[in-house]
Amino acid sequence: MKTKALWLQGVSCNGNSHSFLNYEGLRELLSKVEFLYHPLLPSRLRIEDLADFTEDIDILVIEGAIKKEGFLRGKKEFFRLFQKLKKKAKYIVAVGNCASFGGVFKEYEADLTGVGYSKGEKIADFENLINVPGCPAHPEWIGSVLSLLCEGCEPELDELSRPAEIYSYTVHAGCLRNEYFEWKVDSATFGSKEGCLFYQQGCQAPYTGGNCNKILWNGVSSKTRAGMPCIGCTEPGFPSRDLFKTKTYMGIPARMPKGVPKRAYLTLTGVAKSFKIDRLNNPLMPKGPGCEKEES
Amino acid sequence: MSKPTKKEQRKIEIMDTALRLFSKEGFFAVTIADIAKELNMSVGNLYNYFSSKEALAKELIFYISKILGTKIREINMMDIKTKEKIEKIVEVYFNTAIERPELIDYFLRVYLSHKEIFKEGCEGMICVSPFVTEIMIFFEEGVRNSELRDQDFFTAFGLFMGYLGGMVYLKGEGMLPNDLKFYTRSISENIYRALKSED
Amino acid sequence: MRVDILQKIEGEAFLRYRFKKGRIEHVKIEFPHYRGVEEIMRGRPAEDAVAIAPRVCGICGHSHLIAAAEALENAAGVTPPLKARYIRNVTLGCELIQNHIKWLYLVILPLLKRMGFREVPFFEAIDKSATAGKIIAIFGGQYPHTSYAVLGGVCSDPTLLEIQKAKLFAKEIEDFFHSEVMEEIERFSEFKDSRGILKEIYIFLKHKELLDIGRAHDRFLNLREGTKILGLKRVSAKLRYVSTAPSGIGYAKNALYKGKYFEVGPLARRIHTPFVKDLHRRYKDGLFTRIAARVYEIKILLSQLKETLKKIEPQGDSFVKTDSLAEGTGEAVVEAPRGSLIHRVKIKKGKIERYEIITPTQFNLSNGTSLNPGPAQKAVIGLRDRSEAELVFRSFDICSVCTTH
Ligand code: SF4
Ligand code: SF4
Repeated sequence: MKTKALWLQGVSCNGNSHSFLNYEGLRELLSKVEFLYHPLLPSRLRIEDLADFTEDIDILVIEGAIKKEGFLRGKKEFFRLFQKLKKKAKYIVAVGNCASFGGVFKEYEADLTGVGYSKGEKIADFENLINVPGCPAHPEWIGSVLSLLCEGCEPELDELSRPAEIYSYTVHAGCLRNEYFEWKVDSATFGSKEGCLFYQQGCQAPYTGGNCNKILWNGVSSKTRAGMPCIGCTEPGFPSRDLFKTKTYMGIPARMPKGVPKRAYLTLTGVAKSFKIDRLNNPLMPKGPGCEKEES
Repeated sequence: MSKPTKKEQRKIEIMDTALRLFSKEGFFAVTIADIAKELNMSVGNLYNYFSSKEALAKELIFYISKILGTKIREINMMDIKTKEKIEKIVEVYFNTAIERPELIDYFLRVYLSHKEIFKEGCEGMICVSPFVTEIMIFFEEGVRNSELRDQDFFTAFGLFMGYLGGMVYLKGEGMLPNDLKFYTRSISENIYRALKSED
Repeated sequence: MRVDILQKIEGEAFLRYRFKKGRIEHVKIEFPHYRGVEEIMRGRPAEDAVAIAPRVCGICGHSHLIAAAEALENAAGVTPPLKARYIRNVTLGCELIQNHIKWLYLVILPLLKRMGFREVPFFEAIDKSATAGKIIAIFGGQYPHTSYAVLGGVCSDPTLLEIQKAKLFAKEIEDFFHSEVMEEIERFSEFKDSRGILKEIYIFLKHKELLDIGRAHDRFLNLREGTKILGLKRVSAKLRYVSTAPSGIGYAKNALYKGKYFEVGPLARRIHTPFVKDLHRRYKDGLFTRIAARVYEIKILLSQLKETLKKIEPQGDSFVKTDSLAEGTGEAVVEAPRGSLIHRVKIKKGKIERYEIITPTQFNLSNGTSLNPGPAQKAVIGLRDRSEAELVFRSFDICSVCTTH
C-alpha cells in the first residue's frame, strides 16, 4: 500500500511546493507516496474535501506559517484543519522556514509561528515533528526525508528538530570560495568569481546549517558559488535585516563562524591577513572574448 | 596553563637576558656570544635554543606580545565599562614601560624600527597577534556595547597605540617632566573621548 | 449564488457566481489571503528588497526579483552593465518557460481530462520545467528564490563552459517542446501536417465548440514594451497611467490603465506574431487563442534564450558599484509569466519608505461591475457550465499569492 501523505499550506508563497517539483526522484517517490491533497499535483481530494476528511494519514506535510484565525483553506479555517489533521498523522513534516519557525511573513504578522517553533523557541512538544527549513527547502531535503519515512525509518534530529544529516553541515562547507575565506580575501564587489562574501557582502553561510554546497541546488550550483551571499534561510532568525552587508564592529564581523570562539577566529585572521597570496589576489582565470567568431 | 618545562624556563631566561642587554647596549652591538656569556652558558648550548640571532629576535617580539596580550586579556574578561578598560590598558602599558622598560623598548626601537629583520616569519600580524587579537576584542566589544564609535580597526588602533608609544618614547628621551603614571588619567580620558560613540 | 473554489492557483480564490436563466450573469472573485509583503519591505534597508521580493510567489518569484532590482536601479539612476541585463533576460525567460510548462501540464491538461481529454503523463514535462530551473541556477545559484540580481547588476560571473551547459539544457527543453507540445510552425493553418499536444487541445475544444468562448475586452497591455493594443493596433502606453482601486471584495485590488480594464499576459505580448494573429483573426481573444498564445510563447522564449546565451561574453562586467542608495523613488515593469508586473519603491535615508507591487493577475482578475466587468469576469459572462468557466479562468493562468501579496 502506498504511504498516505497530505500537503497542507498555511501562510506561504508556494515556494516549497515548487521546489519539491524539482526533486529528481519525484516519479519514484510518487510511486510510493500518494498525496491525498497537494497544492500543485493532481490529487484525490479537493481542498474543500478536507473539511470532512477523517482518515488516518502517514505524513502530514505543512508548508507555510501557522495562523490561528482568519485564514481559510477551502471554506474552513486553516487552523481547524491543521488541528484535526495533526492528530491523524503519524509524522508531521514542516517544509520551509515558514512552517519550521514562522519565516518571512512573520515579519508582518508577529503572531505567525511554525508548527513547533516560533523563531528558535519551542512552542509545542511534538514527538513526530521533522523540520525541513529553507526558503525554500531544497527538493532533495523534502524528497529524501519523505522517502525515508515511507520506509519506516526516521532521521536523527538536531536541537531544532531538523535532520542532523542535512543541517549539521554549514552552508559554507563546500563553497568554491573557501580558499578566499581561509586567506581572508574578500570579494570587492558582486559579480566576481574571486573573493569571499563573508567580510562585506553579508554571507551567513559560516553560521547557517545546510548542505547546499554539498548537494548543490538544481544539481548545478549554489547561491554562494554563484556569488550571492547566503541569507541564512534555514535558521530561526531568518530573515534578518541588511542581508547584503556584513555587520561589523570596528571591522570585525559581528557573528563568528559556528562554534568558533572570537579569539581563535581573530588570531587566525590576523595571521592569514599577514600574507598576501598572489594567486588569490589575482583574477582566477583569464577572460576570453567568448564565441563571437562562431556566429559570423 | 600548564607549568613551563625546564627547557622552556631556560628559554625565558635567555630571552629576558637578551632583552636586558639589547636595551642597554643596543640590538646590533650585542652578539649571541655576549648573551651566552652573561648567562654562563656555552654559545653552542645557546644555539640549541635559538638557531640564530634573527630567530631570537622574532621569538622575542612574540614573547613580548604574549606578555602584554595576557594582561589585556585579563582586562577584557572583566565585567567593567569600556572607559575603565581603557584606563586599565593604559596602566598596564605604562607599568610595563616602568617595570620592564626593556620590553617596550624592544618593541619600539627594534621591532618597529628594523622591519627588515622581521620580514620573514613575522609578516604582518604574525608575531604580534596575541597582543593585537586582544586589542581587537577590546574594540569589538566596545562597539558592540555602543560605548565606542564604529570605525576602521586601524584608525582606532593607531590612535590608541601610537599615543601610548609616543608617550613612552618621550619619556625615554627625557622630555617628560613627570612620571608616566602621572599622565595615566588624562591620557585615558583623551583616548576615551576620541573613540567613544557620539550619543 | 454559487460559490466555487478555484484551487491550485498558487493558493485559492472564491468565485461567487450570479446566474440568470441558466447563464452566468456576473461573477465576483475573492482572494482570501493576505501576507503583507509591501509592509514587510517598509523600514528595511533598500538593498533588502531583492531578498524579500521573490517570497511573494513560489512560481514567479524570479520576476519579482528582477522587478525589485530594476526598481532600485531606477531610484538610484543606475543602468546595470549589458552583460548583467543579458543574464537577467536568460533567467527571467527560464522562469516563464517553467511556468508555462507547469501550467499546461498541471493546470490545463488535468482540467481538460475531467472534460474528457486523454490522460497526459506529466513527469517528463515537470522534468523539463526543472531543467529551466537548472539554467537559472547556473547564473543565479538556485531556483526558486535566488536573489542574485542586485542593485547594479548580477552576482555571478559565468564562465564560457557554464554558458555552454546552459545551452545544452535549453536544447533539452526545446527538443521536448517540439516533439511533445508543438512542432516548429510559424502559422496556425489548423496545425496542418503537424502534431503535438496543442493540436490535440485544438481538436478537442473544436469538437466541444469551445474554441472561441471566453472572450474578454480584446484590449491588451504590454507595459514592458510600453504599448497598449486596441483592435490589434499598438499604441504607446505609459506606466504612470496604471492605478489601483479597491475591488470591494477580499484582499485584492483592481489594476487599471487610465481607469479601464486591460488584459495582460502572453496573449498581449504575442498578439503581433503571425501564429497568434491567425488565431485572433478566427477566434478573437477567446479561450483557444489565449491558451495557444501561452504555449506558443514557450517557443519564442526558447529561441530568445538561445540567442541571448550566445551574447553573454565572459569579458565585461556583471555588476557596477553604486554609492549607497539613500533617497529616491523608482519603478520598474517586468513581463512576468502572467503579464506586466510593476514594482514601485520610495527610499528615504537608505530605508524603504513605501513599496508597491501591482501584479498581472490584478489586471486580469479585476473585480468590475456587471456593466463594466474586469477581463476574466467579462470572459465568463453568458457561459452555462461552471467547468467551462473554470477553464476560461485558468486560461488566464491565475496566481492567488501574487494577487494579494
Ligand atoms: S519558507 Fe520561503 S519558500 Fe517556503 S513558503 Fe515560506 S516564503 Fe515561501
Ligand atoms: S562566500 Fe560564504 S560560503 Fe563561500 S566561502 Fe565565503 S563565507 Fe563561506
